Amino acid sequence: MKKSSFSLVLLIAIQLVIPLVLAGCWDSVELNRRAIVSGVAIDRGEGEAEKYVLSFQVIVADEISGENTRGISPVALYTGKGHTMFEALANASRQTARFLSLGHIRVLVISEKVAQEGIKDMMDVLERESDTRLTSLMFISKGQQAREIMSTMTVFSKIPANDLVEKLDTTSKQFGYNYRMEVDDVIRGIQLRGGGPVINGVIIDGSREGADTNDNMKTIAPHAVIKVTELAAFKDDRLKGWLKGNTALGTALLHNKIKGYPAVIRYPGSGFIAFNVYQSQLEVRVKAADPEHPVFIVKISQQVSIKESPNSLDLTSPETLQNLSPLLIEDTATKIRAAIETAKKYKSDYIGFGQVMERKNPQGWKKVRDHWEDVFAACEFRIEADAVIRHTDIRSNSFQINP
Amino acid sequence: MGKVKIGLLQFFSITILFELGTSLVVNLGMAAGRDAWLSILIGSLAGLLMFSGYAYLYRKHPDLTFIGYTRKLLGKTAGTPVALLYIILYMNLSGRGLRDGSTMLAMASMHNTPLFILSMLMILSSSYVLHKGTEVLTRTSLVFTTIVLMIGLFSMILLILSGSINLQHLMPVLENGLWPVMDSVVHQNYMFPFGEMIVFTMLMPYLSDVRKGPWVIAAAMLVSALLLSATIALNISVLGADIAKRSQLPLMPTISKISISDFIQRVDIFVVMVLIIGVFFKMSVFFSAALIGISELFNLPYRRMLYPCTLIILFTSMLDARSFTEHLDEGGRLLYTVYPVFMIVIPVILIIITAVRSYFSAPRPG
Repeated sequence: MKKSSFSLVLLIAIQLVIPLVLAGCWDSVELNRRAIVSGVAIDRGEGEAEKYVLSFQVIVADEISGENTRGISPVALYTGKGHTMFEALANASRQTARFLSLGHIRVLVISEKVAQEGIKDMMDVLERESDTRLTSLMFISKGQQAREIMSTMTVFSKIPANDLVEKLDTTSKQFGYNYRMEVDDVIRGIQLRGGGPVINGVIIDGSREGADTNDNMKTIAPHAVIKVTELAAFKDDRLKGWLKGNTALGTALLHNKIKGYPAVIRYPGSGFIAFNVYQSQLEVRVKAADPEHPVFIVKISQQVSIKESPNSLDLTSPETLQNLSPLLIEDTATKIRAAIETAKKYKSDYIGFGQVMERKNPQGWKKVRDHWEDVFAACEFRIEADAVIRHTDIRSNSFQINP
Repeated sequence: MGKVKIGLLQFFSITILFELGTSLVVNLGMAAGRDAWLSILIGSLAGLLMFSGYAYLYRKHPDLTFIGYTRKLLGKTAGTPVALLYIILYMNLSGRGLRDGSTMLAMASMHNTPLFILSMLMILSSSYVLHKGTEVLTRTSLVFTTIVLMIGLFSMILLILSGSINLQHLMPVLENGLWPVMDSVVHQNYMFPFGEMIVFTMLMPYLSDVRKGPWVIAAAMLVSALLLSATIALNISVLGADIAKRSQLPLMPTISKISISDFIQRVDIFVVMVLIIGVFFKMSVFFSAALIGISELFNLPYRRMLYPCTLIILFTSMLDARSFTEHLDEGGRLLYTVYPVFMIVIPVILIIITAVRSYFSAPRPG
């Protein structure tokens, strides 16, 4: 039986080989050898050799939900330096006892200095590396080191990076102009011709003293609070300036990313009235028959409710509401105008009017794309705003009306 | 031939998996920029036209494989070398599919695993299934088609819910006119993946229904073309044309954008699953076609050449190119230089011969 002995040898050989495969994946890193990175801060170091200083906020899993916690900090910060981002990451491994796992980065904070020098070189690795993901949120730390943001204890979440994400979500629903900006949004922003991305700013409000220890939360008013702040406007990949107030709100409106914001208007003779703008729908159209002189028409319609009206206005009368609407419309138009004026001032179309133009008149766009910032700075804008006051919340007239 | 019969549903599912195969995850037709989805649709029309030619040949010779009727129509002396070339083509395509799959797997998740190990595991699983026979492969495909379609549906719903889709990325349609789209069609899309349907001429004698069979396969082609086109459109609308174009596996970042209240996240492992399933079937169909061809041409039992062929395919895939970039570049050039000869020129010659012969032999009185 020559054949069966051959089969037997083959069978034994296969049985010796197969266990090698069963031993598991070549690349596997066990969970107890992993350290999950929740946030990364990117600072500018000294000179070329230490161009990037990366600080990794690493979750100490035992402290977050372990039975035997040691009462230490829930996250740890490790720093690596290098010419490039990847080198800096590898460099950090000299301090970390475990493999840094980049799959769960929630937040990327870039220092203002890096942003001023240009962020396009560092964006490449974020896009190319398959472990990192595009849904990480990006921030620019205004006037501070990015690593300071990553090393501040926060009250509501043990992990500061998560706390920052939650802060962004709440403010985008209530105060308005900050909205989610993820890695791919920034990349698409950099690619805008004659424009750039808009990125949320973040600062530490308060004193740095003891911000990175538990002492920060022992007082009722924390010493230092991470705070989402103004919008960083870019031209190409360089930081041009910071947008706040009306300008920032207008910019967010033009991006159609507003969920809700408080609008405050001065009513002649009755002080201030506050509205809650709970819905805004914006549309940009363009008349681009002459590509060198396009006319943009910004159409916006909003729905609002009255939140504060401490005066003697008769809110039971529809006429009063009709008289209030134009003031609100004017307020919205002012915001949008301010945003456009600022963009023109920076000569950067970070709002993306160029794309509207490209969709409308692709051939004309090709003629102007190379000097779009100049065309943009000179082109005409028309704003057609509309606002409806839907209701006055659960009171009609203020108690001040009949004392 | 023809002892084993394979049902229509099985053929439908294997056609879908074969077409989706690697094309679902790679940046198919992105030479046309944001009109890639259109170039796939046009490509599929061209593919269907080509398939109708193959179906014609099948109807005329329902019991013969492509190699069988090549030798019958061209004669033994001319037919055998041609048949041999087809076997080499199928093995080469199988090897290329394997290289695609193993490299993309290495890029996507297994960064440190040697390519050879990945390739070996993939080809071994494929040769195991083929050891059990082609009908086993087609029945397996039924299970995996369901899985792939479920994953697709699930991802689609999640993407819509997470609000990452921005259809404005697809505008303006046909910015530079029809030419770039047609260029992409001519260079890639009618061949890959639709022209590769030539391989089904080797499997079609197994069809259980001569009349309905080609229609079922054509329907599966159309369905997969729509799925591919929708997937590419989805990639572009989530990522923007530029990022999708520069991604080796655009489906991966697209799916990774899924984030439902920071709770359902990182479902991109699904893409790796789809990739493995797709590559497995693409490779196996070519592999089985080569095996059927060899066993018919050299009159050998089907299984005897299985392991030698496994080795050939494995080494073709490894020695094919030094880098993935080189591999893709080579593939891109083969698509419009060599493959059209096999997928259009030779079949057209056969069709003409068949038509002429049946024309002269048809009016047989009585």
